[in-house]
Amino acid sequence: MTAPAAAGALGVPRRPGGAGPWAEWQLALPLALAYAAFFLVPLLLLIAISAFDDETLTTVGFAQWRKFLGDPFYWKVILDTVKLGFYTVVATTLIGYPIALVYLGAGPRWQRVILFVVILPLLTSVVVRTFAWIVILGREGVINQAVLWLGLAPAPLRLLQTEHGLVMALTQIEMPLLLLPLLSVMSRVDPNLADASAALGASRWRTLFRVTLPLSLPGLLAGCMLVFASSTTAFISQFTIGGNRLVYLPLLIWQQSLVVYNWPLASVAALTLLVSVSLGVVAIAAIGRRAQAYAS
Amino acid sequence: MIHRPVTRRRLLAGAAAACGASLIPARAHARGSVTAAMYPGTWEEAYRTHVAPALKKAHDVDLEMTPLFAVDQIAKAQAARGAPPFDAFVLDPGPRVTAIERGLFERFDAKRLAALAQLPKDATDEWGVTVAAQVVGIAYNPKKVPRPKAWTDLLKDPWVSRLGMTGFQTTYGTVSIIEISRQLGGSETNVEPFFTEIRKVLPKIAAIGAPASMPSLFQQGQCDITYTNTQTVATLRGRDVDVEFVTPESGAVAFFTTMHIAKGSRAADNAYKYFDTVVSAPVQAALMQPPNNLIPVNRGVKLAAGLPMTSLDEMASFVRHDWSKINPLRAGWIERFNKEVAK
Repeated sequence: MTAPAAAGALGVPRRPGGAGPWAEWQLALPLALAYAAFFLVPLLLLIAISAFDDETLTTVGFAQWRKFLGDPFYWKVILDTVKLGFYTVVATTLIGYPIALVYLGAGPRWQRVILFVVILPLLTSVVVRTFAWIVILGREGVINQAVLWLGLAPAPLRLLQTEHGLVMALTQIEMPLLLLPLLSVMSRVDPNLADASAALGASRWRTLFRVTLPLSLPGLLAGCMLVFASSTTAFISQFTIGGNRLVYLPLLIWQQSLVVYNWPLASVAALTLLVSVSLGVVAIAAIGRRAQAYAS
Repeated sequence: MIHRPVTRRRLLAGAAAACGASLIPARAHARGSVTAAMYPGTWEEAYRTHVAPALKKAHDVDLEMTPLFAVDQIAKAQAARGAPPFDAFVLDPGPRVTAIERGLFERFDAKRLAALAQLPKDATDEWGVTVAAQVVGIAYNPKKVPRPKAWTDLLKDPWVSRLGMTGFQTTYGTVSIIEISRQLGGSETNVEPFFTEIRKVLPKIAAIGAPASMPSLFQQGQCDITYTNTQTVATLRGRDVDVEFVTPESGAVAFFTTMHIAKGSRAADNAYKYFDTVVSAPVQAALMQPPNNLIPVNRGVKLAAGLPMTSLDEMASFVRHDWSKINPLRAGWIERFNKEVAK
């Protein structure tokens, strides 16, 4: 087989002047079509369903929107959902960033170990991880047994079905989403830069805040966005650990769509979740741009 | 022999043909199978172990199961609009009424069941057949709290501070809250007394959880008393959890799990064979054994010890509810429950 025949068999069209922008479009086309069919169309359907007044989808109107947005309880649910994402982002960053620094300073063998430990939770189902947290946070769970044994409290602490218990669990569950982009960006940072900073007389803290942090910021931001989007929509963890005492938007969507079959109201809640998560992600990006501008 | 090089184009063409072929609907129905929606977990395991082999043996029909909760079955069938993703429903009374109202069932002809004579008179109707009973009452840990007597004990000390509860999302949760309300002066359609009372004791309640996590919460000692069905109690006992079932003074609540043929199903004949196998005495007896613990509906089956009745006829005295009255109110109750118990 000759070389040109092989090229032809690979199906690369030989056009004079090389591949234009159209060729790139062709490459992106399958994904674009899949995106249109499986995301855009359902999204439009969702918007359409939210514009019905009644559960049987016969009367067009905005009654469900008025009901949802006119009720202070639902505003509190929206706020709580965003707050949960915010707390989880803060907690994962505070715990995850030092781990990333350890990773940066470790040798190649330890880096592999750290990376494996980071990915490990992703290899178990979220249901398993969440139920494990019931065992850890429960009245007779690991944490409470330790607290009672150390005499830190006279009675078991209430951790399950509280916001801080849920944030604790989500911090562990979402940690890989923060660390993976962060580690990939950090490992590409030239280690000589930190040495240069030290040689120029900067303290370790100054090097961290003026060199390492700004250079790792894109990875940190990407991680924060993923953690925010994932924790605000983590229905299984929210409902299993939070129970009915903590009501977030995903619980409302489930109740309305699958228990009471009020699809218009479920669509309203789903669109509200989409908008509030998007706003959160945009806010994180904006904070990131500010921070980057300040650092440089 | 001529070697034809495997080119990318050929490979893609082959792959496309293979994918295309998989889209052609499998003609499984013609060869004798029925696709049944099935509750995930205990039910699915029990049916795989006992019903599938019995159906194959008796009628040479393959049982394929789609694990779905009752509410999910309604949502799926409704979304499919006339092309049901399964042939047979398995439903609790609330979703059953919803499905009837939304026209999701084919009419049911009870005379086609060979086991009809062994079933209680009200076990079949124009829409389907009862395949299991559920009995709801109070479950408690005898090592942690004294034995409760009435539904209202749940909201009193010392029980309330160890109480684990769920809302109106499940059938057993709904009927239990209705019973608590009835003892406080409410009714099947008025759960206001429950909400008034719950507001007073809310901070004390040990857990208000997702239905699926309740057995875990009980096992972990997060709560020591809850309302639930005999099946969950038997399952917990099987895991060596200290748990006892109590029939409240006002009577235990009974409701029935029914099966129905999905509107537009092309395997209705096989669905009848499936139902007939399910309610047959040997299968019902097997489904009653641990770890399945399903309450049978066939009179030919001797009831297991540990159930709050010795014969199916005794269940006639148990408390029943009219779900056509409950369903329209349920959405409002769920919303109210969210608002009352959320922090």
